[in-house]
Amino acid sequence: MSVLLETKNLSKQFAGLVANQDIQFSLEAGSIRCVIGPNGAGKTTFISMISGHLSPTEGRILYKDQDVTDLSVIRRARIGIARKFQTPTVFDNLTTYQNIELAVLRTGCPRAKRHGRIFEVLDLIRLSDAWDRPVQFLSHGQRQWLEIGLLIAIEAKLLLLDEPTAGMTAEETASTARLVQMLTQEFKLSVIIIEHDINFIRDLRAPVTVLHLGRVLLEGSFEEVAANDQVREVYLGHEAG
Amino acid sequence: MTADVEKRIPPVGRITLRGLGESETGLAFIAFIVMALLPIFVSGYSIYILPQYMLFGMMAMSLGLLWGFVGILSFGQAGFFALGAYTMGLAMQSDLGINPAYIGMLLSLVAGGVLAAVTGYFLFSAGVRATYFVLVTLALSIMVEQIAVSQSDITGGWNGMFIDRISLTFGGLGEISLNEDAPAYYAVLPVVVVTYALLRWLTSARFGKILAGIRENEDRMTALGFSISVYKTCAFALSGAIACFAGALYGTHANFVAPSLGGVLFSTEVVVWVAIGGRNSLLGALLGGILVATLSNYLSTITPEYWQLVLGLIFIVVIVFFTGGIAGAVAQLPRLWQSRS
Repeated sequence: MSVLLETKNLSKQFAGLVANQDIQFSLEAGSIRCVIGPNGAGKTTFISMISGHLSPTEGRILYKDQDVTDLSVIRRARIGIARKFQTPTVFDNLTTYQNIELAVLRTGCPRAKRHGRIFEVLDLIRLSDAWDRPVQFLSHGQRQWLEIGLLIAIEAKLLLLDEPTAGMTAEETASTARLVQMLTQEFKLSVIIIEHDINFIRDLRAPVTVLHLGRVLLEGSFEEVAANDQVREVYLGHEAG
Repeated sequence: MTADVEKRIPPVGRITLRGLGESETGLAFIAFIVMALLPIFVSGYSIYILPQYMLFGMMAMSLGLLWGFVGILSFGQAGFFALGAYTMGLAMQSDLGINPAYIGMLLSLVAGGVLAAVTGYFLFSAGVRATYFVLVTLALSIMVEQIAVSQSDITGGWNGMFIDRISLTFGGLGEISLNEDAPAYYAVLPVVVVTYALLRWLTSARFGKILAGIRENEDRMTALGFSISVYKTCAFALSGAIACFAGALYGTHANFVAPSLGGVLFSTEVVVWVAIGGRNSLLGALLGGILVATLSNYLSTITPEYWQLVLGLIFIVVIVFFTGGIAGAVAQLPRLWQSRS
């Protein structure tokens, strides 16, 4: 498989505070990567630099071998890098259908195919039955799914998911893991996920990158990471045992 | 795609149909029929003054587009309105061999559109948001007023500028003079109807849905890859062009324009009309402009000292009890009816 995203010496400082330092990261097309780390490890900063919401102090970001470091959020979204925020960022006063419709409008999908395309996405995120419900009346978990749906609807190739299972029940978390796996297997999308939920990360069976104090502490499978003493010490504590 | 997708009922609710909701088209139809038939039953001063109030309503719609659909408030609409009136006045003084009425109308569309587009481009591409935008549009209004005062050689300064009534020519086919009240009435009404229809169509089309998305969540729209500054600039340019065009027709209808027409005070009045009429509905904004202007006129004759106070009280009552204005309150009626029965 080819490399989809690569970061070279990526660093970010906020007035002397080092949020990210020399991050070398590489993601293959069609794969999932979990990014974990304790609070303040620099996970969201890292994703924000990839999505274009923050610009790095140093280093470069390559997407499909193209240097995208200086591209705006809008340009990156248009070439397929799309982000789900930590708190669901959807159109609360609009219906589920209208939410997805807005995303589909971005793609230039012909008018005749729009309706079908919208329901295609709603089916994927299991919100077809709630198509005419204003989003503010959806559960927190459904709103998280809807936001993922928005990214699918704009035909993003690289999904950046910031804590997608926050506020979900165990069952919802498990089906989110299945959804993410399906997106990579059937639709060949690539996903970077920031997560705290250990069960979710285990369910995904995806490689894990551990950040600590803005640096990459370790990369490996869930089992390798969970067995690593240093990781257990800084982050996992006794949960992994 | 699942096989049953086609069987599903297409969504009836549109993003932008807030305010009066589904009943807006029917109500607009009734309102325009009433306006069209009015000169049969009424004559005199009412028919003279109503076209001016309809043009106020048109300016109110230009604000409704911005405030209700994009979520940005402008205190500069009167500035565009006055710019239009002055443009028409200058065009009417010109002698280019073409009917100056057409030059005035065309130039006012261009002047309003370009001024708004340039201002909007710099503000929106710099990421200026709601509050600062209000301040800049406020300044725009003041600038128009001050320029009108200071450039007295062109504008007549404080004395204002007299503008002849236009007449519409149709090549060799004839000419309609708008000097009489009835022809003027029936010339302005279709302009207002077409503007309303155009805005209704635009706000329910792709453009309007995207504007609604921007109103609801700018950050999400950016993250989806929409160039929101371009859409906002287009909306502001359209709004400016409409207000300026309405002003051009107002100038020739009123036969006069003075600097205060572009001032902050008048801009604030426009905001009051739209707030009372209902900013989420174009019809609400239009009727808000017409009705509140009519009411102001009526009140100022029966109580010259206190009419502004009365208007202020109405404004406060509407703002406190009906945040969606009269249109919002009307939209609530069917629901109230249902809950009682």
